[in-house]
Amino acid sequence: MGTYILRRLGLALPTLLGVTLVIFAIVRLIPGDPARIIAGVQASDEEVSRIRTDLGLTQPIHVQYGRFLARLAQGDLGLSAVTRAPVIEEVAIRMRPTGLLAVSSIILATLVGLAAGIVSATRQYSVLDYLVMTVALFGVSVPVFWLGIMLMLVFSVHLRWLPAGGYGGPAHFILPTITLAAFSIAIIARMTRSSLLETFNQDYVRTARAKGVRRSTVILRHALKNALIPVITVIGLQFGALLGGAILTETTFAWPGVGRLLVNAITSRDYPIVQGIVLTFAMIFTLVNLAVDLLYAYVDPRIHYG
Amino acid sequence: MRNRLHRLGIIVALVAMVFSLHGTPAGAQAVPRQLRIAVGIDADTLDPASQTTTTVINMIDYMYEPLVDAEYVDRPGEIKPRLATRWQISRDGLTYTFTLRSGVTFHDGTPMNAAAVKFSLERLLDPRLRVPNRHLVSAVKSVEVVNDLTVRITLSQPSPIFLPNIGGALGAIISPTAVQRAGDRFAVAPAGAGTGPYMFKEWRRGDSILLERNPRYWGTRQPFEEVLFRVVPDAGTRLTQLLAGDVHMSMLPPAPDVRNLRRNDRVRVVEAATDRTVFLVLNTQWGPFKDVRVRQAMNYAINKKAILASVLFDLGTVAVSPCPPMMFGGAPQAQDGWPYNPIRAKQLLAEAGYADGFEVNLFSPTGRYIQDFQFAQAIAAQLRNVGVRANVSTMDWPSYVGMILTPPDRTRVQSIVLGWAWPVLDCDGALYGQFHSTSHPPTGLGPAFYKNERVDVLLDQGRREIDPEKRKAIYREAQQLIWNDAPWVFLWTQKWYVATVRNLEGVRILPIEKWDTSNATWKP
Repeated sequence: MGTYILRRLGLALPTLLGVTLVIFAIVRLIPGDPARIIAGVQASDEEVSRIRTDLGLTQPIHVQYGRFLARLAQGDLGLSAVTRAPVIEEVAIRMRPTGLLAVSSIILATLVGLAAGIVSATRQYSVLDYLVMTVALFGVSVPVFWLGIMLMLVFSVHLRWLPAGGYGGPAHFILPTITLAAFSIAIIARMTRSSLLETFNQDYVRTARAKGVRRSTVILRHALKNALIPVITVIGLQFGALLGGAILTETTFAWPGVGRLLVNAITSRDYPIVQGIVLTFAMIFTLVNLAVDLLYAYVDPRIHYG
Repeated sequence: MRNRLHRLGIIVALVAMVFSLHGTPAGAQAVPRQLRIAVGIDADTLDPASQTTTTVINMIDYMYEPLVDAEYVDRPGEIKPRLATRWQISRDGLTYTFTLRSGVTFHDGTPMNAAAVKFSLERLLDPRLRVPNRHLVSAVKSVEVVNDLTVRITLSQPSPIFLPNIGGALGAIISPTAVQRAGDRFAVAPAGAGTGPYMFKEWRRGDSILLERNPRYWGTRQPFEEVLFRVVPDAGTRLTQLLAGDVHMSMLPPAPDVRNLRRNDRVRVVEAATDRTVFLVLNTQWGPFKDVRVRQAMNYAINKKAILASVLFDLGTVAVSPCPPMMFGGAPQAQDGWPYNPIRAKQLLAEAGYADGFEVNLFSPTGRYIQDFQFAQAIAAQLRNVGVRANVSTMDWPSYVGMILTPPDRTRVQSIVLGWAWPVLDCDGALYGQFHSTSHPPTGLGPAFYKNERVDVLLDQGRREIDPEKRKAIYREAQQLIWNDAPWVFLWTQKWYVATVRNLEGVRILPIEKWDTSNATWKP
């Protein structure tokens, strides 16, 4: 097990190196001169060229990449081109709100999604099943910014129960968590339902029923545990997506997360920040994938890594 | 069944309640301890020397003060005392002697004196510091301490706009002790550095900037203990937060909502004209636009009034001159702007040999100016009526700037939407960067590639002439030439606006796209 984890982590290195190469090339291919954007349109030419030298943009691109890798090997992601603060610091500050929101959303999505999926599967073709699946369809199709604004209109403007966006205490988490989780809830519910329905047709489920095992035990112990593998995969992927793809939710709710930092960094051509964030995302995805694989072994003892 | 109906009834009642309940307006209480303002962008740096963005300057204005202030509303262009109470200018225009306000201390408790002024201004000339607008103070040759409260600044050449140039964030006087103590962190945590009515407390990156009242402030005491700027990038959310009572003021709520907001008795829309001219650049070195008659025809073909009313929700005023009349030297060329006359436009096009019109690219940014991409489409529709087939497209702002900065032989610019404003209300700023031939890309930002030798001479003279009346005459002549040469389609000057809760009174909009709460009061 230990060697397996080490080997997986070792394999992640070339992946991350590939990511640095791609992102390094891509940000430099987008038109727009970072020095000019940072200096502002009314700055003089000397200032713009001074900033360009500051940022090391006057060197050939392979030299820039080499320097970037050399610093990266020492754990240094460089300085933000705009604020001149260390990239690690900027990303860490913004990672916290994003991380907390992603965790609260994935918990909500897993609880509600699993429950809805189980209810739906056990009462297949009932009114309740149709209702749950219709709501789930709504959940995957509704645009995040629309849902967010509607929730704010009802709960913040009309009822005045919850704050309309912003980052703060527990109350601030409720609306963005629901908004962000909506899509994942729907996906998890649908996946749970179909996976459960498949296992319900298996022989061992019929045998368990025939033996007179309680219905709830059959569903939760025998069927659900076996149905969980694809669901865990989906939850893992969703968690990665929630960490990285909460940009719309963060914008709608004025949430100071890393998604917004990324968008701002792209529009201000802050190369070091863009590189730092994409690299962080790549690392997180690798780790989440590894965690999902390890969870398989836990849920299904037939799977083991060695 | 009965039971079910009953349950349904309760649900319906609950839903109805949700939509009928209206909370009390945000500030039906006493003066809030904290004034909360929703802004569209986060700061990039809090160092006054490194500023590039008006909204960020607007926020740091609460902390820092310059030697002098430019007056924008009552008597535009007048220079007023701030940290300096008096100043004398030598006859040759090269020496400025400032007498400083006595008894002013920085937020860190150290005295504001001549040494601090020398430190702050010399810091702007330090090449190791990032000062994007250094060119505004490049005329400064030396700063001398005469005595504790007297400072003498010597210029290398006379500059009629030196005072307004140091009258903004760039000229902020900051505490040498605080700068030293903060070291590398000064840009993100400038504690104790200013003299203004509010002191820096905390900057939560991407979320908010918190300031607290300066108990030792020399000027008018502010009614709020704290000011919080909350970063809310989405205009719809800024409005929602205002309506929900989470903030007391929101900058630039969505333009399409402004008409309704003006009628909403719980909020106040504060709006005012600014010096930002929005125009359609015509590349004077491209195809049909080489002919002045075609450029004039473009101006005749567009009904600015109609677009302002139907696409911009009246958030603008038709442009009457290349430099807005509110600026020093601004000289109106036509009462209601360039007349709308499609028949004349067609005539001119025919005279120029384009009776069948022509095809042209029209680029516009999205979300940079009020309703920009939307009005670009309206313009294209009107151009079609005179036979000019404009293909509208958009791109993100950095790419847009990249396109503008392309040299004439490779430029993609045929016609593009652009806005131009200047923090100093003087025609030099409005005209030089767009119409002087040294401002052609890639070294400048004048993508019309306009060249008129007489205009060049006049704009150079305007930079050196100290006599105000002569300067006015210079700019009057320059504007007349530019207007008739029509390197732009002169569209409008746009307004700037905020929405506040009813209780907040006395908020002003400055014509340089800023809000001003320094005289605001709270009416319970």
